[in-house]
Amino acid sequence: MIFAAAPATPLARTQLAWLGALVLLAQLTVASHVLPWIAGSGAALVLIRFVLSPDRLPSPRLRRVLLPVLAFTFAVAIRIKFGYFLARDPCVDFLYVLVGIKYLETRNARDGGLLVCLAVFLLLTQFFYAQTIFAALLTLPVLLVLGGALAALREAPADAEWKAPLQRTGRMILQGIPIAALLFIFFPRLAGPLWGMPADAGAHTGLSERMAPGTIGALSLSDEVAFRVDFEATAPPPAQRYWRGPVLARFDGEAWTALSYLRRGEPVRASARTIEYTVTLEPHGQRWLFALEHAASLPSRPATDATSGGPPGDLALLTSDQQLLAKSPLMQSVRYTERSTLGDSFPSTGNIERRENLQLPRDRNPRTIERARELRAGVGSDRALIAAVLSSFRSEPFVYTLTPSPVGDEPVDGFLFDTRRGFCEHYASAFVVILRAAGIPARVVTGYQGGELNPDGGYLIVRQSDAHAWAEALLDGVWQRFDPTAAVAPSRIERGLGAALPLGEYVPYMAQLDMTWLKSLRLHWDAINYQWQRGVVGFNVDRQRDLLRDLGLGNARHWELVALVAGMITLWGVVLLALARRRALSADPAGALWLRVCRRLARAGLRRSPEEGPLAYAQRAARRWPQWAALFARIGNSYALLRYGPESEQRTKLIAALREGVAQLPGARKLRTQSPS
Amino acid sequence: MLVASMNYALSLGFALTFLIAGLVAAALLHTYRNLHGVAISPIGAGEAFAGTELSFTLSLGSAGSARRGIVVATAGERSVSVDLAAGATQLVQLVAEAPRRGRQALGRVTLWTDFPLGLWRGWAYVHFPLSGIVYPAPEAPAPPLPLGNEGSDAHKNVHAADAELAGLRDYQRGDPLNRIAWKAVARGAGWYSKQFEGAGGRGALELAWADLPPGFDTEARLSRLTAWVLATEREARAFALRAPGLELALGHGAAHRRAALTALALYPPERAQ
Repeated sequence: MIFAAAPATPLARTQLAWLGALVLLAQLTVASHVLPWIAGSGAALVLIRFVLSPDRLPSPRLRRVLLPVLAFTFAVAIRIKFGYFLARDPCVDFLYVLVGIKYLETRNARDGGLLVCLAVFLLLTQFFYAQTIFAALLTLPVLLVLGGALAALREAPADAEWKAPLQRTGRMILQGIPIAALLFIFFPRLAGPLWGMPADAGAHTGLSERMAPGTIGALSLSDEVAFRVDFEATAPPPAQRYWRGPVLARFDGEAWTALSYLRRGEPVRASARTIEYTVTLEPHGQRWLFALEHAASLPSRPATDATSGGPPGDLALLTSDQQLLAKSPLMQSVRYTERSTLGDSFPSTGNIERRENLQLPRDRNPRTIERARELRAGVGSDRALIAAVLSSFRSEPFVYTLTPSPVGDEPVDGFLFDTRRGFCEHYASAFVVILRAAGIPARVVTGYQGGELNPDGGYLIVRQSDAHAWAEALLDGVWQRFDPTAAVAPSRIERGLGAALPLGEYVPYMAQLDMTWLKSLRLHWDAINYQWQRGVVGFNVDRQRDLLRDLGLGNARHWELVALVAGMITLWGVVLLALARRRALSADPAGALWLRVCRRLARAGLRRSPEEGPLAYAQRAARRWPQWAALFARIGNSYALLRYGPESEQRTKLIAALREGVAQLPGARKLRTQSPS
Repeated sequence: MLVASMNYALSLGFALTFLIAGLVAAALLHTYRNLHGVAISPIGAGEAFAGTELSFTLSLGSAGSARRGIVVATAGERSVSVDLAAGATQLVQLVAEAPRRGRQALGRVTLWTDFPLGLWRGWAYVHFPLSGIVYPAPEAPAPPLPLGNEGSDAHKNVHAADAELAGLRDYQRGDPLNRIAWKAVARGAGWYSKQFEGAGGRGALELAWADLPPGFDTEARLSRLTAWVLATEREARAFALRAPGLELALGHGAAHRRAALTALALYPPERAQ
C-alpha cells in the first residue's frame, strides 16, 4: 500500500476534519467500555483541535515536547488506576487517549495514515467487550468515514464535498462483501489463543465455584442470557428443568466451595424419560457445561446431516457428582448435544461420598447445629427429618426475597433464627447445614432452574436471572434432590422468579410475568440475537469445520482451500470488472455498437484510423466490400446522427436501426474471405 | 488486527478486518478502472530558453466514464493532476526544466492514479516522440546591438546619406572609429559612440560570430547572439546571422527569428545540413 500524497505537505483543514470525524467515531464505539475520565479526555483532545483555530494551539515545536509528556502522564495514571498496565483494559484505555494525542500532533499525510491505522485498531477493540448486532451495525458508518478519511488524505476535498466519498466508500464496501464473507468463512480459526490472554480478557457473568449469601441473588438481577436450548422433542415442564452446574460440598461456615479434587463418574442410565437437546452456551470463563438432571451421556458436538459430531467425551468429562466439565475454561460460545434422563435422583458411587458430604465446621453456626440434633432426636428416620425441615420452611414465616436483611457473623444461624428472609442460596445452604449436622450426607447444587420458551424460535432461553441453588441428600445410596426454595416459594419453580418474589420487589425485566408487547418484542429480538450468536459471533474453529464438511470440503487439503479461495477472489474481480464494463457500455449503447463494428472490421483487415469519422470509415468499408455498401452506409449514418446529430426523439429508432444493421453485418471471418484484396 | 482477532477469537474482529480487506480489494478494482481506458496523445512542444522551463502539451481523453485524479508526470518531479468528465478530452501542459540548449525530448511520461482511497497506485508509462527546442540562454545584461560593419559600404552609405543622429551611448569595444563622439572625448566627458537612426526604418544588421570578442567561448558567443536576436525583435530590425557553418540571410519577422534561435540552439549545425 502506498500513501501517495506527498508526505511532507501540511494537511488542509478539510483533511483534518475527516480524520477528526474518524477518530471521534472510533472513540465513540469504545467510550462506554473505558474509564469515564479517559473517555472524556480522549475525546476532548480531538475536539480541542477541531474547535480551536490553529494559531491558538501551542506551536508545533512545543507540541512535539508536550504531547509525549502528556501520553506518558496518561500511561502512568492508567497504571496507577488499574495497578497493572499490560492487560486488555489499560491498553484499550491508553490506545483511546493515544489516538487523541496523535490527532493533536498530526501534521502531514504520513501522520494521517498512522492515525487511520490507530483509529481502526481502536474500532476493533470494542469487540473485546461486546459482539452484539448493535455493535456491528454501529461500526458500519465508521467504515464509511474511514473511506472518506482515506480519500481525504489522498487529496484535500472541498468543503461541501462530503457525500460523494461516503457514497463511493459504501459502494466499495458492498462490492467487498463477497471477499469479506469468503475470508470470514475460510480463514483458519484457532482453537486457542496465540499467547496467554490477560486475566481480564473475558469479564463473564455466571455461576462460580463459590457460593456465599448473596452471590446468586446478585446474579439473578441480570437479564443476560446464560445459554439457549433446542429440544429434540418437546421441552420438559418447568418443574423438571433443573440445569445442573457447580456442585458445592465444602462449607467454611459462611460460603460453599467445590471440592478441590474430582473423580470420574458414569452417566445415568437411559430410559423412557431420556430426552435429547442441544445447548448453545455463552462463554462464562469457567469449565462447567450445563445439563438437565441427570446427564445420560457425555456431551457431543451437534450432529449435522448424516455425519456424527465427533466422539463423545471429546468435549467434556463427567464427574462422580454429575458435573460436566469442559477441558478448558469457556472463552468462546460452545454448542453441544446432550441427553438427560429426567429425574430427581441418581445412585451414589460409594462410601467416600458419605464422608465428603458430612463435613461441617464445628464451631460455626452453633444454634443451627443444636437445632438439627434436637430434630434428629425427635424423628424416626432421615426422611422424616427432611420432611420436618421442609415443612418448617413452609409453615414458619420465611420470606423468599432478593433483598435479604444482613445475617451477621454466623450466616446460617442469623438467617434461620433471626431474619428468616433469604434467597435460594440461603435456603439451600441452611438446609444442607441442618442435614449434615443431623448426620445426613448432603451438598449444595447450583445451576439454573426454569428458563423461558421463546415462541419465535421454539427454543428455551435460560438467563442469569434463572440462576438457582438447591440441595441433594444421600439417602439409601441414592442422591435425592430437595429444593427448599420450592417449600418457601413453590411458584419460583413452577413459574419463575417473577412469580415468586413478593409484590413490589425489583424483578429483572425479562423475569417479569406479564407478557407485554415490549417483552414479546424482546423475545423476537432474542430470536434474532440467537441466530447472530450462533452464526456470526460463535463462528469458531468447530463451526468452521462443520461448515466445511457441509460444503463437502471436509477432507480438502490446505492448499486446495487456498486455491479455492484464490480462484473465487479472481472470479470476484472478473465479475465486478465485467459488470462495471457493461454498465459503462449500457450508458452509451450507440458507442458500444459502433465499437463492435470497428472491432469486427479491424479483425477483417480494415482498421479505422484514429482521425477517421464514422461516415468516412463506412465509405471506406463500402468500397472494400461493395456487396454490403448499403449496410455500411446505414450503420455509418445512424451512428453519425446519434453521435453528432441533434438531440431528438428519433434516438431510440436510430439505435434500433443501428442495432439491426450491426446484427446483419457478416462476421469477421466471412468479411475477410469476401475481401477483394 | 487479524492477530488480535485470532488471539481473542473475536468473530466480529475477523468480520471487521475482512470487511476492510474487501474495501481495499474493491479499491484496487476502482483504481484500475480509473486508469483503464484513458487515452493520452501528444499535441506539441513549446519553446524555451535554457535555464527556464519547457512546456509540452498532451491531450488526455476518457473514452467511457468520468475519471478522477489522473496524474501525468514527466521523468522529473513535475506532475499535473486532472479530473476528466465522461467522454471528455482535456489538454494538459507538462512543464519540464530546460537546463541546456538544444533539442529536448519529453521522455517517459508516467500516467498514474491512486483514486479513490490512495491505497493503491495504478500507473502506465508512455513514450512519445515529442521534443521541444531549448534556445541558448540570452546573455543578461547583454551589450547593445552592434552598430554595423565598418567595412560594409552599404552600411556606410546608409549612414552617410540619410541617417540622423539619434543619441549617444557608452563606447564599446569594436565600435567603428567614425562613430566615436570625438567632441565629447575632447571635452573629457568620456567615451561615447554616436547612434544614428535611418530615415527609412532602422538599419539592417549582420550578427556575426567573428565580430565577437576573441576571448568568448562557443556558449558565450551563442548566448550573446541570442540576446542580440531578441534585441532585434524589440527594435524591429532585420538581421543576418553568420557563424561557422551557419549562414542565415538577411530577414526579419517571427519565423526568421525562430529560425535564427533554432539554429543557435542546435549549434553547431549537423554536417548533413
